[in-house]
Amino acid sequence: MRMLAAALALALMLPAATRSVAAATAVVDLGGSRAYVRSDPGLALCGITLFVRAGLERQGADQNGLAALAAESVLRQRTSAGVPVTDAVSALGGSLSYAVAAQYVRFYLEGPADSIDALAALVSRALAAPAFDTATLTAARTALDARIADDERDPRQVGMEMLRESHYVGGAGMPALGTTNSLAAFAPADVQAFFAKWYGRGDAFVTVVGRTGPASSTASAALVAALPAGTAARAAVVTARPYGAQPKRLVTRRDVFAPFVVIGFAAPSLGDPDFPTALVMRTLLAEVLERPSATTTPLLLRAGGTIYGYDTTPSQLTLWINGGMIDPTAGISAIDAVLKRAASQPLTAAAVTRFKERARGEWALENLSLDERAWEIGNAVAQGLDADAAAQVDAAIAGVTPADLQRVAQRYFQRFDVALVLPRAGSGG
Amino acid sequence: MKKAALAAAFLVVTLVAPAGARSTPPPALPAATGGSTQGVTPSGMMYSVTPDPAQPAAAVALWYRAPASGFGAVPSAGLSRVAALTVAASAPITGTPLARLAQELGARLTIEAYPDSVSITVLVSPEHVARIVRAMTADYFAPVTDAAGLALAQHDAAEDGLYRSYDATDAVEDAVENVLFSSGPFHDGTIAAPKAVAALTLDDVRAYAERAFRPANAVLVLTGKVTPSAVTEAATRDGATLSAEPLVHQSVAVPDAPARRSASIAATGLGWAGPAIDDEVAATSLDFIADMLFSPQSGSVQRSLGSLDAKVSGTFVTYHDPGLFVVTISGADAQAALPLVRRAIAQAAVPLSPAAFAAARAGFAYRLLSDMETPEQLADTFGWYAVEGNLPYAPAGDRYFHVAAGLTPQVVARMAARFLGAAPAIVTLVPARTPTPAPVKQS
Repeated sequence: MRMLAAALALALMLPAATRSVAAATAVVDLGGSRAYVRSDPGLALCGITLFVRAGLERQGADQNGLAALAAESVLRQRTSAGVPVTDAVSALGGSLSYAVAAQYVRFYLEGPADSIDALAALVSRALAAPAFDTATLTAARTALDARIADDERDPRQVGMEMLRESHYVGGAGMPALGTTNSLAAFAPADVQAFFAKWYGRGDAFVTVVGRTGPASSTASAALVAALPAGTAARAAVVTARPYGAQPKRLVTRRDVFAPFVVIGFAAPSLGDPDFPTALVMRTLLAEVLERPSATTTPLLLRAGGTIYGYDTTPSQLTLWINGGMIDPTAGISAIDAVLKRAASQPLTAAAVTRFKERARGEWALENLSLDERAWEIGNAVAQGLDADAAAQVDAAIAGVTPADLQRVAQRYFQRFDVALVLPRAGSGG
Repeated sequence: MKKAALAAAFLVVTLVAPAGARSTPPPALPAATGGSTQGVTPSGMMYSVTPDPAQPAAAVALWYRAPASGFGAVPSAGLSRVAALTVAASAPITGTPLARLAQELGARLTIEAYPDSVSITVLVSPEHVARIVRAMTADYFAPVTDAAGLALAQHDAAEDGLYRSYDATDAVEDAVENVLFSSGPFHDGTIAAPKAVAALTLDDVRAYAERAFRPANAVLVLTGKVTPSAVTEAATRDGATLSAEPLVHQSVAVPDAPARRSASIAATGLGWAGPAIDDEVAATSLDFIADMLFSPQSGSVQRSLGSLDAKVSGTFVTYHDPGLFVVTISGADAQAALPLVRRAIAQAAVPLSPAAFAAARAGFAYRLLSDMETPEQLADTFGWYAVEGNLPYAPAGDRYFHVAAGLTPQVVARMAARFLGAAPAIVTLVPARTPTPAPVKQS
């Protein structure tokens, strides 16, 4: 975390009105591995996320989707009662899910605080000795295929995947869940080998949120201990290609009802001193595409928006434009004009103050559910930062200056790639 | 449970405390919150404050008992939504419209209209709670409505209505309530056609806002990182009527034959009148049944669908009197799914084995709690139960979970037989021949 702390220390010296840094995460030694615990006794549930360094970046050139297949297969492990572990957790009154990112895979377990240890015991058994047999892999592929099909219906997701593939080198740029074809090619031995190589206890850690206590301590220890001993031979490092002077134009067609334009920028990562400034820039860009409204426009009805991929270092910020709501050409022109203007001269102090205020408020609402709060802690730790790094961003936003915005606009937001997701013939639009 | 908001997921609500003495204590179930402060201010405003200092944000909500189509004998479709939106978008005496203030603070403002209530919620950074309480109560307690605000409100309401008309659950609930209830706000519904919204005038909106948004008809709900003292920031209004709008019983009339309605999408709905919110054991039982049958991952109906191309959802909506148990079936194989649903409903009248019941109840309690993790979700829960007339029974508190813990397989089966044993109102939604252009879909 130290890089961010240094940057934030400067910001904290400023006299601007800042919120107190509320989050305070305790670090608990689990016998080598660590648990990062942020209690919320006001809730009845406990959430535990196990972070394992077995994300997309670990995939080789011919391993598109293998990280997801391994994780999904863990959830499909059968208990002694013969049911998948996810169903067993559900039957006991909890939930189990996972997500694959470039630098890690995370398993999220949630349940009542006093029974989280019993739920974790089920998951631990699945992690300790997973069987990657044909039946398990078939079930895992079926589940992944359904998720892939869902993602294919979301033009923002499609565009973002295209831009990730263009920006990141190697496995980190591959689709998070692979493709139906790539998944079909893996044999049980492939998944077994991936698990054996990357699911090491030495690189893993847990984050614990919600109501904590003896049961969550037992659960945390059990989850980490279930993983095989060992540490990966190398750190999970992601490499990105620099954007060119001329934007790449990536085009695809899907069953969508309107054209979508998705623009990808390189963006400072969570630990970068420019991260708070980029959040203010995010607010500025999103506002360009807003229309007057009597409420906060639901995502479904927005003309555009942004997705900041700060789960990866280096990061990427994508901006999407819904061609069903706004003329895409007009939207791109407006964005282009704002970026050029921001880079060529500083915004007025009043404008920056306004965007900062809004960015701070939006940051406070960034991670609200238990799952999100557990991810927020773990994402910082996974990138070598302090567990409370995200909580310190608010104060840093308050210190952003017009010159900071101009510099970040020049450094990050003048080069980009564009993905166009167009309707197939006959699918609307 | 309360109704789901736009694009929200399945939700559950309600439980009951059995009247009789128990020979053995019920199993403990966790409550969602540690404790709330509730009361009524001198201006008649009810409030509920549930602090959780560990939350990163706070929710400030105003709930009103207010019929969706107005107070008059002739319904004005969409009036409550348009009125609430207009107030948020109009420039008040103090200067900044609530919608713009929320935007400037990076907060999220949502307005939801239900058949008999309307809610205004701001999810906000904790440092701005007092400011939002001041602004929101000042704006609504002495509502200013202007033409610019009305224009924005009509645009948003028309767009909202269009999208809801393509949402099978929303469309079916509206249609089932229209069929099952002979008159009143449930019959009138919440989805308004763009033409109806456009026909509303500033006078309509002003008159509605003046009556509906009085302090004495308001419930202020604060959740998340808040302090009880924030209630003192609420505005007052001299001379306003000190009584809330009354709770009204809705008359049920199950039609003899299935009904057909022209709609934007194809779907089938089944509806049963359920227990009133005061019948806590019965209402909790129906929540339990809805979860057991229809929860998205583990519901028995969901699992029985197999490879059918059908989407089925079901919920119990805890209205004042009566409640509503409603099932929505859509998709290419909806007709094939219908008998599966009917069979599952009938089977609910047979007591589960103790082991199956314990598992179902554990899942039920968990899903209920997981729907109340954020300040906004908690505020919705408290607000809903307050306007429906039984705030102490809100599932965020101990009472609901005490009732849930006291349920037995026999009690649940008896409630299923009592409330779901009769023939339901059935509505088939049939797409109009010349459909309105479909909205752009995003997941």
